[in-house]
Amino acid sequence: MPDVFAVPVFFICFRECLETSIIVSVLLAFLKQTLGPEHDAMTRKKLIRQIWFGVAVGVFVCICIAAGVIGTFYTAGQQVFESAEYIWEGVFAILASVIITLMGAALLRVNKMQDKWRVKITKAFEVRDSSLPVKGRFKRWTEKYAMFMLPFITVLREGIEAVLFISGVGVGLPAKSFPLAVICGLAAGTLVGYLIYKGGNQTSLQIFLIISTCFLYLVAAGLFSKGVWDFEQNAWVKLAGEGAAEAGSGPGSYDIRKSVWHVNCCSPSANGDGGWGVFNSLFGWQNSATYGSVISYNIYWLVVIVGFVLQGFKERTGHWPLQKSSAKEISSDTGSDHATTGKGKQGGVVSSNVREIQE
Amino acid sequence: MAISLSHFLLAKSLLLSLVQAATVTYDFDIGWVYANPDGQAIRPVIGINGQWPIPTISVTKGDRLIVNVQNSLGNESTSLHFHGLYMNGTNHMDGAIGVTQCGIAPGSSFTYNFTVDQPGTYWYHSHAKGQYPDGLRGPLIVHDPEDPHKDLYDEELVLTFSDWYHDLMNPLLAFFMSVANPSGAEPVPNSALVNETQNLTISITPGRTYLVRMINIGAFAAHYIWFEDHTMQIVEVDGSYTEPTDADMIYMTAAQRYSVLITAKNNTDANFAFVGAMDQDLFDVVPDGLNSNVTGWLVYDDSLEKHPPKDVNAFEPFDDFSLVPWDKEELYDKVDRTIRLDLKMDNLDDGANYAFFNDVTYVRPKVPTLYTVLSTGPNATNPTIYGSNTNQFLLEPNEVVEIILNNDDPGKHPFHLHGHTFQVISRSDDEAGFYDPSSSSSFPSTPMKRDTVLVRPNGNAVMRFRADNPGVWFFHCHIEWHVVSGLVATIIESPLSIQSQLANKIPSDHYDTCLILNSPTAGNAAGNTQDLLDLTGEFRSPGELPAGFTARGIVALVFSCVAAFLGLGVISWYGMMPVKAKTG
Repeated sequence: MPDVFAVPVFFICFRECLETSIIVSVLLAFLKQTLGPEHDAMTRKKLIRQIWFGVAVGVFVCICIAAGVIGTFYTAGQQVFESAEYIWEGVFAILASVIITLMGAALLRVNKMQDKWRVKITKAFEVRDSSLPVKGRFKRWTEKYAMFMLPFITVLREGIEAVLFISGVGVGLPAKSFPLAVICGLAAGTLVGYLIYKGGNQTSLQIFLIISTCFLYLVAAGLFSKGVWDFEQNAWVKLAGEGAAEAGSGPGSYDIRKSVWHVNCCSPSANGDGGWGVFNSLFGWQNSATYGSVISYNIYWLVVIVGFVLQGFKERTGHWPLQKSSAKEISSDTGSDHATTGKGKQGGVVSSNVREIQE
Repeated sequence: MAISLSHFLLAKSLLLSLVQAATVTYDFDIGWVYANPDGQAIRPVIGINGQWPIPTISVTKGDRLIVNVQNSLGNESTSLHFHGLYMNGTNHMDGAIGVTQCGIAPGSSFTYNFTVDQPGTYWYHSHAKGQYPDGLRGPLIVHDPEDPHKDLYDEELVLTFSDWYHDLMNPLLAFFMSVANPSGAEPVPNSALVNETQNLTISITPGRTYLVRMINIGAFAAHYIWFEDHTMQIVEVDGSYTEPTDADMIYMTAAQRYSVLITAKNNTDANFAFVGAMDQDLFDVVPDGLNSNVTGWLVYDDSLEKHPPKDVNAFEPFDDFSLVPWDKEELYDKVDRTIRLDLKMDNLDDGANYAFFNDVTYVRPKVPTLYTVLSTGPNATNPTIYGSNTNQFLLEPNEVVEIILNNDDPGKHPFHLHGHTFQVISRSDDEAGFYDPSSSSSFPSTPMKRDTVLVRPNGNAVMRFRADNPGVWFFHCHIEWHVVSGLVATIIESPLSIQSQLANKIPSDHYDTCLILNSPTAGNAAGNTQDLLDLTGEFRSPGELPAGFTARGIVALVFSCVAAFLGLGVISWYGMMPVKAKTG
């Protein structure tokens, strides 16, 4: 299965697509609210068309960029990577693991993402209102086509992010493992986005998100462990040379001094044992576990557990454990996405503002 | 009946020759010298009396040979084995460390003293672990006044073929038997040598016929050998005379010997190259730039050019299986004892690659096996006392023994039995699998006799011999790397006869060197003289590789699963928080 379905790629697509669809849905909702039935249907239709047009163009540009980046990666990068295959696989596995870990938690706060974007969009329109008579044809053009530009830029941004992540994660994977994963990721992201837009059953939606996040972290844990394993395997192949390559999954394919367990079968990399590749992608299974791979796997979970407990503690109490709750850091602050340590830059926006503006 | 009669005649002729037998004495001071035989690297080599290549031992059939050895190496024990000599009644002079003696300790001396009752082409070399490729290897020629072919040639030549390493054996062995070499890839020689040099020239007199005694004294590589525009007529292999048989190219494994007649041309119009080409199939990876051939020339006229050898289209060597021994010794068709040896290579839990007979890799016992025989009285017939890693087989006097060797390895292996020549009654092609006794019924009526036979990749061979030479005899692959990795069996032939032959006859210098090396000289394989069945403390091979999940693997797996489930639990808890907040 890993030959045709790259699990990390799937999750990256899912996640980026979900964010995009949330933005689009917020925009659509915004139009619905601001241009109520009293406005003429023509304008509304035109603006809605603008939104979809922006999405389409954004997607198209993304695809072009992706094709370019991945193309260069595979042609130019191949030789570089082949010479030190295990090192590269290890580096990218750990990189992918870190990326997934950092952005994974945000999935659980997707509802809040909706709020965040509502604020942003409203702000964007506000700015336009306040700076009216200003200048330049470009500015006017962007104002006129704001409903095009917003989704376009968003899609572009999320798309490029996805492309970069995917090329990072996917460097060690065969090219044919991409398409299915990308398509499924996009489809799932769109579906969930649509469900959120429709405002379906919040609880079951959240459960769905929890399950997918759990898988995401299982994948990330496996990748982290595999990254360490790759480094060790690189050292072993360097030491044992031809012999290690000849040995397949039998004796000599691994360093007995670092082995925790080894079974002469069920290798995720052996071509025949396809099923074990799924285990490898989902849970980080290795037929030849090393001290490094086992310990790193457990350490990964330890870090994740501590991280989530701290985050949960903070969201609940408003301050980190062992820290006094200060007057300035009031609980309303937590509304934005602190969960995404990597991306929570707009965290300062207070949710009460949203309500003010909407009124 | 015919056999016993011929034995009787042989014994009588022996008695006759003993009357005129001489004693030939060599004093060998074994020590390090420097040499550069291929012109590529100067390295320390083991020489004798300050010389390398080491001298050829030359005796006449029936002579007593005395070799006084002084070990001046300083850093290594040594020994000398006289390859192919039966050592009848002098098993303790066979020179195999751990089998018939302790190593000759640095600084001590040791005397080999025995009679040579067999004619032909032999060689002598160190039988200390992996030592002879460092240079301690040389020809041993036994001349025969009654050579049946003596009227066919005018002159004798000795050509040794060998492989050569630029590194000392000790570091090469350390790498070979290490975790870094899991496939057991044997170090590839750096070059090939003939008479321990290259570009050898041999002056040839037109019209004369030469008896060329060829010996592969290499550690590893077999050689394809051919003389351009000259036919070889094989007359002896491994000390057994054969019906003269023509061959254009021969394949000579490590430790094998061929004597061939080569008749010189009647004119001096050109010189002719001869080539020893190492068999690259043996090499795991052929390094770039390796010249695996060694060339020499039959020089008719020194003023003429010595052309480089012509390319050959394919290696199509003579198949030695078809040789017929001169004495027409008939097939031993009634087998008393069958020894089946299944060969395989595998890794043990130190990560190194070992060689196995019947799943046991050889590790030398604490007490040389001969000394165990001599010190255990009636218990010497109990195989258990010889240890757990010696692949021991006990033979009854005079039984006909059949060794079935099944090669479950994709490599070629030259197998050598000390103390005997054997009839090679069956040998398969490559990839034939294990020997099937039911499907093989027709054997040659007068099978070829050798003391070293090639067994082909994933093939098999069957040998027979009569246990008429009491002694402890090594049976091993003569690729020196495989001796070290354990491809060895110990044949203990008529232990009670050994006792009656050799009791109290072991010279004191044999025991003295054991004393210096702190090796016990009595008791079972573990040196236990009280309870001979108690092998506590014996030398053992490393353990087997752990099979799959051991306790620590299970603990690790359970731990990882618990960690993952805990993590998933925490993620779920965190994920449910806002939902609870909303509903609550």
